[in-house]
Amino acid sequence: MNQRPRLFLVITLLFFLLPVLILAAQSFSAPWRFPSGSGLDWELGSYEQLLQSPMLWKATFTSIWIGFIVLMLNVVIGVFTGKALTTVPLKGRPWVEALLLSPILIPVLAIAMGLHIFMIRAGLADTVLGVIIIHLVPTVPYSIKIFHNSYQQIGRAMLEQPHILGSGFFRQLFTIELPLLKPALRSVTFLTIVISLSQYAITAIIGGGRVLTLPLVFFPFLESADASVMSAFSLWFAVIPVVMYTLVEAVILLLPYSRLPWRNKR
Amino acid sequence: MSPTTLEVKQLKKTFQEDLILNDLSFQLNKGEILSVVGPSGSGKTTLLRVLAGLESPTNGSLWMNGKDITATKANRRDISLVFQQPLLFPHMTVKENIAYGAKVSKKYSKPKIERLMEAIGMSRYRDHFPSEISGGQQQRTALARAMATEPEVILFDEPFSSLDPALRQDLRYWVRDFLVEQKTTALFVTHDMEEAMIMGDQIAVFQDGEFQQIGDASVLHHSPANQKVASFMGGHLILNENEFVPLAEIHLSTLEGVETRTFKGRLEHLTYQHGRPVAHISVPALASRVALPVGKFTADTEEVTLHIPTSCIQRFEVNHHE
Repeated sequence: MNQRPRLFLVITLLFFLLPVLILAAQSFSAPWRFPSGSGLDWELGSYEQLLQSPMLWKATFTSIWIGFIVLMLNVVIGVFTGKALTTVPLKGRPWVEALLLSPILIPVLAIAMGLHIFMIRAGLADTVLGVIIIHLVPTVPYSIKIFHNSYQQIGRAMLEQPHILGSGFFRQLFTIELPLLKPALRSVTFLTIVISLSQYAITAIIGGGRVLTLPLVFFPFLESADASVMSAFSLWFAVIPVVMYTLVEAVILLLPYSRLPWRNKR
Repeated sequence: MSPTTLEVKQLKKTFQEDLILNDLSFQLNKGEILSVVGPSGSGKTTLLRVLAGLESPTNGSLWMNGKDITATKANRRDISLVFQQPLLFPHMTVKENIAYGAKVSKKYSKPKIERLMEAIGMSRYRDHFPSEISGGQQQRTALARAMATEPEVILFDEPFSSLDPALRQDLRYWVRDFLVEQKTTALFVTHDMEEAMIMGDQIAVFQDGEFQQIGDASVLHHSPANQKVASFMGGHLILNENEFVPLAEIHLSTLEGVETRTFKGRLEHLTYQHGRPVAHISVPALASRVALPVGKFTADTEEVTLHIPTSCIQRFEVNHHE
């Protein structure tokens, strides 16, 4: 039995940490091929090349901006829909739930192509707003599902209790619901940012090449087939969700009744 | 006579076809504790939810200190509800839980919270989280949290039913004393007649959407208004829809020189309650089963005969119009 934690550690290191370390090592060295016999040649060439790309910073900020707005919309839509699904008496609830999940079942590409015509007519094609809207398609169903599950776990009675004690809608949302939804907020943050950040095809279609996000800059780099540059880019890519997640975690700490680790009273 | 705090006028509630509350009218005076007792599924919880504002009545009106509160939202009513489960907020400490409602309703004062924590004996657990205290402590904290908002009326929905029997006993008296001490008007819902008798000044027997009878324990026992009240009290053998006889008047041996009515019965079990043997007898003629406390019981057969002096048989209608 004692071997279990050790086994877990070994598997974790092997499959999660090691690839990242290899990626990091490769990004700081010249392309290395097995079995060349030689060791790693440390250099910063790949990052120089990466940072020289004129579009990199702009695309990074556009991606973060889009990701942030998509996340906010997801939280707002997810929280309210999830709450409504839990508290509002509704006939045919399973059907409504299935309907809300259905966008996941249809290929996003098909939805994007269909919506493209609408977006052109509405003047949303080639705009950031258009891209944000299309990024909602593959993210919102998951958010609704996650928040709905969390609300159900909290339970109707627990949602009625603060109301009985005199709490209004928004006060209850911030003092009771959001603090209890923390795990859901974390899941939705990670999921939304990662999904939004990695959309290539639908961003290209709706953004029309004018809205430049990281994947759009990333793919041309693939042609260079330079493993070092690719590694550097991948790490650049991966840092964004981690930073966003950290920021959200900091915001979550601001919620009422949060226990700040350095302010624990007991 | 103390002033009326809560007045309910012809309250009606239906869910689809089902009639849950049927023209219910009653009033609660300041400081009065009313127990509402009725079988499971009779709509007691719905009554509390309508009073608290979690459900709106189909018809009728609610008045608090002379003001119509029928359309007032739950968070604006001066009514607190203690649920079956403590429902403490898991991310708050005991102290924060108690202070929560008080802060929300702008009735927060530090000494009051301290006093309440003292009263429920939770001062030393103030910084504990709900998951770190026992079920009884949680329920006491939930009560203090409800009290901290200084409600005009406090409603209880079987608050002790999830606790073990010994703890339930203690908490009953504790809550009762606490409510009396704080002069709080309360409505206490339970399905347990004993609990209802301990908690309430008056007991209302609730069934089929209305109060079958309201009175103190001895009135309900000695002159039940109808069959439903009598069968819920469990202290009588109901002979038909008009007549009943107190269990104490039923004899298992023949009575000399007294006119009696007799019923054949079959002894099914013998149990012991409060140190006395109780014979559980089925009476096929009445299609009922009766639990009869017996003094000394030496039955050698399962067949028994119930002897009921005719003079002891009472009628429901007589009492109904008292």
